[in-house]
Amino acid sequence: MLARFIKSTELDIRLLGMAGALALIWIVFHVLSGGLFLTPRNLWNLSVQSAPVAIMAAGMVFVIVTRNIDLSIGSMLGFIGMIMGTIQTDVLPKVLGFEHPATWALTLAAGLGLGLGLGAFQGFVIAYLGIPSFIVTLGGLLVWRGAAWWVTSGQTVAPLDDTFRLLGGGPEGSIGATWSWVLGFVACATIVVVLAHGRGQRKKFHFPLRPMPAEFVVGGMACAAVLAAVAVVNAYPWPVGIVRRYAEANHIAVPDGGLFIAHGIAIPVLIAIGTGVVMSFLATRTRFGRYAYAIGGNPEAAELAGVDTRWVILKCFMLMGLLAAIAGAVSIARLNAATNSEGTLAELLVIAAAVIGGTSLSGGVGTVAGAMLGAVLMQSLQSGMVLLGVDTPLQNIVVGAVLVAAVGLDTVYRRRSAI
Amino acid sequence: MDRTPLVAMRDISLAFGGVHAVDRVSVDLYPGEVMALVGHNGAGKSTLVKILSGAYRRDSGTIAIRGEEASIANPRDARKYGIETTYQSLALADNVDAAANLFLGRELRTRWGTLDDIAMEAEARKVIGRLNPNFQRFKDPVKALSGGERQSVAIARAILFDARILIMDEPTAALGPQEAAQVGELIRKLKSDGLGIFLISHDIHDVFDLADRICVMKNGRVVGTARVAHVTKDEVLGMIILGKCPTAAAPGLGAVED
Amino acid sequence: MRKLAAAVLAGAALAASFAMSAEAKDKVIGVSWSNFQEERWKTDEAAMKSAIAAAGDKYISADAQSSAQKQLTDIESLIAQHADVLIVLPQDASAIAPAVQKALDEGIPVIGYDRLIENLNAFYITFDNKEVGRMQARAVFAAKPAGNYVFIKGSSADPNADFLFAGQIEVLKPAIDSGQIKNVGEAYTDGWLPANAQKNMEQILTKTNNKVDAVVASNDGTAGGAIAALLSQGMAGSVPVSGQDGDHAALNRIALGTQTVSVWKDARALGKRAVEIAALLADGKRMSDIPGAVKFSGGPKKIEMNSMFLTPIPITKDNLGVVIDAGWIKKEEVCQGVKPGTVKVCG
Repeated sequence: MLARFIKSTELDIRLLGMAGALALIWIVFHVLSGGLFLTPRNLWNLSVQSAPVAIMAAGMVFVIVTRNIDLSIGSMLGFIGMIMGTIQTDVLPKVLGFEHPATWALTLAAGLGLGLGLGAFQGFVIAYLGIPSFIVTLGGLLVWRGAAWWVTSGQTVAPLDDTFRLLGGGPEGSIGATWSWVLGFVACATIVVVLAHGRGQRKKFHFPLRPMPAEFVVGGMACAAVLAAVAVVNAYPWPVGIVRRYAEANHIAVPDGGLFIAHGIAIPVLIAIGTGVVMSFLATRTRFGRYAYAIGGNPEAAELAGVDTRWVILKCFMLMGLLAAIAGAVSIARLNAATNSEGTLAELLVIAAAVIGGTSLSGGVGTVAGAMLGAVLMQSLQSGMVLLGVDTPLQNIVVGAVLVAAVGLDTVYRRRSAI
Repeated sequence: MDRTPLVAMRDISLAFGGVHAVDRVSVDLYPGEVMALVGHNGAGKSTLVKILSGAYRRDSGTIAIRGEEASIANPRDARKYGIETTYQSLALADNVDAAANLFLGRELRTRWGTLDDIAMEAEARKVIGRLNPNFQRFKDPVKALSGGERQSVAIARAILFDARILIMDEPTAALGPQEAAQVGELIRKLKSDGLGIFLISHDIHDVFDLADRICVMKNGRVVGTARVAHVTKDEVLGMIILGKCPTAAAPGLGAVED
Repeated sequence: MRKLAAAVLAGAALAASFAMSAEAKDKVIGVSWSNFQEERWKTDEAAMKSAIAAAGDKYISADAQSSAQKQLTDIESLIAQHADVLIVLPQDASAIAPAVQKALDEGIPVIGYDRLIENLNAFYITFDNKEVGRMQARAVFAAKPAGNYVFIKGSSADPNADFLFAGQIEVLKPAIDSGQIKNVGEAYTDGWLPANAQKNMEQILTKTNNKVDAVVASNDGTAGGAIAALLSQGMAGSVPVSGQDGDHAALNRIALGTQTVSVWKDARALGKRAVEIAALLADGKRMSDIPGAVKFSGGPKKIEMNSMFLTPIPITKDNLGVVIDAGWIKKEEVCQGVKPGTVKVCG
């Protein structure tokens, strides 16, 4: 009976399975760490720590779906990060002076442009010159990492512009309780509207409808999840010292019990969620996304159908470069420094996240939501293990084992459903 | 017949490296007729029709559609002339569903520019339903369908967009007898609708059953063209294997001199 | 015709090179680097190159890019290029042994640079890394003699990380034993990556509910990551943090008050000294006759090595002038964003 009901909700079983696995991991860590894992503070930290990989994983899905791979994103991130760091601490101050309000925007724009450009360059070589993506991006991995060093001969660039730093999270880099609730309710309302619209469309064409109870369950659970997440991040208060400084600066009296200022959703997490929404939309609702999946399923069929496959693949790599730039901005802002080693090995984590999330390396299959969940899952493992005092070498062993197990389970599941 | 041919291909040549895949081939197709192209593997039949459908570009020769010279540089150009193809390999993207495949490259969009999946599914149900009333699994990826269902999708795609010239490359190759019969019925119906159909088939019986005229190719050249009613199966086999053109057929460049 | 011309050209080139090598009296000093990505080695290289040029010798080098395997081939290649003496910064001190032995067997003296190569016939020049660790711990201990300590260590794959930690613990042991100091968190930092140090520090802060009084970080990069984590909790500036390398960003942090000490090893002095010793060894001087050399058997195999130890300098707020006067960093860079009157050197 339950199985039938779940089927009527038309939710992706694999995605549900991943969410279940994530919940299980969280509960296990919570118990093992003596109640530390499922706290607002740790979950808030987890959301920020997962952001860069999640952002890039959303783009990696497209690349892998089209039967390509991008091994250069970690190095691209490092290089673009160094450029952005130098622009805001060296180039712009000479023109605009220090701490100019526009510095962060100009820096970010330059970084994003560079990301698009590097991605377009690699994409062109792959799509139009026909050199395999593995080779081109392997070259990119070496070239951009060397270039990152070259920007300042290896020197770390720190500290960064104060406004730019907000992109990395922290108390000031979060939107606070009120706005978080606003966004939460807006998201909830959007979910309801989308469900209603979908139902209305189906009625117009006399298609079979989801049974009303299922609609309510899906809508209700999604809303509940969103609002619960907002409640969690709103339960994480600013540290005492920062509250005190803020109160002094704004002439607010601090009551005896302390002043509770909630963090709210961190800006990098907002960026990640926004990226996820946009990328999902691209994947499921636009011709570009449809063509990417078709190319992954059967490149010849796409060609014969008149799809401009080379242009689609070029765009996938451009997107990937753009997302690496966004992740780079978030990473250096968080560290408040641009280092030439930033993003080392990130490509492996991103590919692992996408694959754990259900993206198949043979192309044609994968979801953005799954990849981002995969990123959160991997970061949960790592952060949880540090909480338990498990040291780095063992952490790597565990993460590697989980990756293989996850993909193994997915393969078995696919074979069983005879798809 | 002094009707203008739907398709008139004259002196078409295409070479890959040093190999003449198609060598000065001329063939016509009239509306409401099925013209069968037969010959060995590698005779050039698939290559010839791929030139017509825009998948390959010819080295030399002309193509006239309804009397006017046509320039076909890619599959999109071909479709503008009303040329549709079902491929031997079906050319379906296995990981997306039937509606997505039907509309691949020609998606229906909402006024916001996004994909109108619901409208596409509705159209798909209509068209595929006409061909195959038992077809149910519209939301499953095409990989999960049976051979006959996949063929229905491929054929539906070909007739969805008002084709006037249909190229069918081995349409019954992967089908059982019942499904093959269904495809045969469909071909007859399309013929009566006035479409011109190029039919590539290994099955001599299918050819004699469905085709009006037959053109035999060998090593890239035309051996001969004939009305199916005027030749026997043995004579056709003789053309295929030996290149011997019987008296009732118009000989081509590939015909063996007696 | 073309082939003949090529043969003539080749013959001419060959003859010229013979002539050149017959006349060459400059020594060829070969340097095998482990990895140029870390900020500091470029400084060592610059110092070495200028000292070599001043003496009229020749500098050849190779970068192993963090691969012990590659370094074996690098050393073979340097030998093939007629190096008279080798300065080796080993990626993996044990894996490098066969290559070092090969060089020694060919009569090429080998100097282990900054990291210990335990071979009786090799020279060892370094800043005392254990002393670096001791200095880091001493400075933090002076700022916060009691409380909860966190140790942000280096990479588990780098032997230096354990040398540093050993030095730190040595200084703090009496206080740890008496209970005055409690070790509430320690973690290796994968790849010495600052981002990893930041994540580890965040988790430790969560685990201890911010009850952290001091952080002993093993270098400036990891210190930066730890401080970023402290900043998000409003604790930067009130928790002493150590580091090493004298990274410009770190020296600025010391002026701003968020970092307590950066143990500075004037890499230029190390590079210059190493080149001087290399030239002496290449000329045939015996290792024990090098002025200033001492015997050292503190390595894992307890082999007695001829060594030279340069003294690192702990840089704190009070002696920032040392790095400025030495030309290591400009005063504007150190004092950027510093409130006037807070740091002596900045005015």
